[in-house]
Amino acid sequence: MVSSTASRKEITVLGTTVEYFVGGTGDTSLLFLHGAGGNSGWQKYHEELSKEYTVYVPSQAGFNGTERPDWIYTITDMAHFNLQLVNALGLSDYILMGSSMGGWISSEMASMDDSSIQSLILIDAAGIKPEKGEISEIFMCSAQTRLEQRFYNPSQVENYEAYTRELTQDEVFTEHSNREMASRLCWRPYLHNWSLPFYLKKITTPTLIIWGENDAIIPVECGSLFQASIADSTLEIISNCGHSPAIEKPNEFMAVVNKFLSN
Amino acid sequence: MTEVFWFSEQPYGHVTEDDIEGYESGRMHFPNTMFDPIKAHELYSNYHDQYALADQVGFDGIMSNEHHSSYWCMKPSVNIDAACIAKVTKNVKIAMLGNVIAVQDPVKMAEEIAMLDCISGGRIISGFVRGTAVETLHAGISPTENRARFEEAHDLIVKCWTTPGPFRWEGRYWPHRMVNPWVVPIQRDPHPQVWFPGTGSPESVIWAAERQYPYMNLGSLLDLTKQLKDIYFETANKIGYTPGPEHFGYLMKVFVADTEEKAQEVGRKYLWTEAHRNRGPAEFNDPPGYQSREALKIKMSRPVIGTGTMGKRMSYEELQNAYNIVVGTPETVIEKLRHIKKELDPGYILIYGNEGDMAHNDVMRSIELIGEKVIPAVKNF
Repeated sequence: MVSSTASRKEITVLGTTVEYFVGGTGDTSLLFLHGAGGNSGWQKYHEELSKEYTVYVPSQAGFNGTERPDWIYTITDMAHFNLQLVNALGLSDYILMGSSMGGWISSEMASMDDSSIQSLILIDAAGIKPEKGEISEIFMCSAQTRLEQRFYNPSQVENYEAYTRELTQDEVFTEHSNREMASRLCWRPYLHNWSLPFYLKKITTPTLIIWGENDAIIPVECGSLFQASIADSTLEIISNCGHSPAIEKPNEFMAVVNKFLSN
Repeated sequence: MTEVFWFSEQPYGHVTEDDIEGYESGRMHFPNTMFDPIKAHELYSNYHDQYALADQVGFDGIMSNEHHSSYWCMKPSVNIDAACIAKVTKNVKIAMLGNVIAVQDPVKMAEEIAMLDCISGGRIISGFVRGTAVETLHAGISPTENRARFEEAHDLIVKCWTTPGPFRWEGRYWPHRMVNPWVVPIQRDPHPQVWFPGTGSPESVIWAAERQYPYMNLGSLLDLTKQLKDIYFETANKIGYTPGPEHFGYLMKVFVADTEEKAQEVGRKYLWTEAHRNRGPAEFNDPPGYQSREALKIKMSRPVIGTGTMGKRMSYEELQNAYNIVVGTPETVIEKLRHIKKELDPGYILIYGNEGDMAHNDVMRSIELIGEKVIPAVKNF
């Protein structure tokens, strides 16, 4: 979905064409990185954020049927690529926000260089292996199982039918390419990087960690593990909420984001 | 001249439809608590007796394979099975079809296969396979890496067999700074023959043809198999050689008995738990990145019996009419094989000779009849 306030553009990074949506006219830029399911386009929460910020929503290289640089095998590779994307877009003093796999990529980017990141926001982020529970299986299971894991209570999800309807041929191809790319990046170690908790020690950027209390994919304990590793960080847990707070609890999500960014 | 090979999946035949019905998939979810090692011991002994008899009655070779997390194939290591074949037989070629090299250490594979070639006196045919996707999932490897890993493993194994050590191998998946396997194969011209199997993937056929490796079709329907064979021949012609029957083999289910009635009754066991074997979400059998979309379309036309989600369903009778299952007295079977020979002209007929809980004695009798009557007839086709 692209609203009248956002447009789809392309930019070349290290010889690879990257597509992105951009909306809003705020002085401060916000870069949003999607999860393993791919770029769902310009969402309602992007629209909300664009009232205050200029919001960039790129398709991560190789996702949504876009070109895959053949040297990108890991999330760390993707983070290096994205820092070049940030340069190409000319972002400075920007807000970096990532959800799930996108949160993992964001945290690796900030670990590499957070000098131009004003604020970091991680939403139900992958990347750290839980100590008590485990990250649930998202590759070797059916689409139905994946959907059931994603939301705590589907009745809280606006337009839930959009997630259960039959896909068009193009959408099937897009989903296939997204899952293929996520498999390349996240298969082993499964959705985590053993070294990430140590990388994170380097981050000095103020960081907000948001977690759905009932996340059935990445357990909420991982939120605490991120908080323990990032010096200037706050953990906000949203109750009665699964893996996607921005969709399942949009008001609570925006409230914690606005509270953090207004400080 | 056509060569005839014996093949057994070595099924754990004690499993019933009812046992599997309730599980989400027939492989990854079907629990190994259903496996009884004592029963397996007896089954392995029977299967090895069948190998010995196949050797005695005149089969040209024995083919073996491996699968993981599969009740219908109790062979997690084709190399171990080949070692057993080497010791219970004297003459047959041993065709391993094959090692799932994308998920194994290639240097160890090269060593083990060379060791088998030495033990068997140079009887090894070394097939390499990408495996079903479950083999890769079971190994914990991303299915998106399978093809690239397969290519690298193949090149490294062949180098181990053909290049004096020590040498350096700086591959993407198996970087080695010192490779120097002590054991090398007996067959050095230039190395043990490599076979490559496939079902519906044209990519596989082209890969085999480009390397002049004989392509073994594992039981696709005749019209599809002909198309794939044409692709092999076209590829071969493009790169400048003329292939013959020696470049092509065909696997089919064959059971022979003294009477039609007996053969029909026992042959029905080829449908044993068929609907459940590869049952499961597409994420198990065809995860994104494992194969090309073109290959997937061809896969859809393979025969699938029962309630499988891919391909068309075919009954016992339809499968017999399609020459996918060949059962009967020696006379009936000879005529059907004559038809297949005429249609496909395979240089190798691979006989998938038992299934499920077929009685050991029935299978032994089938081997005898094939050796005594069918193979001599096939040699005169």
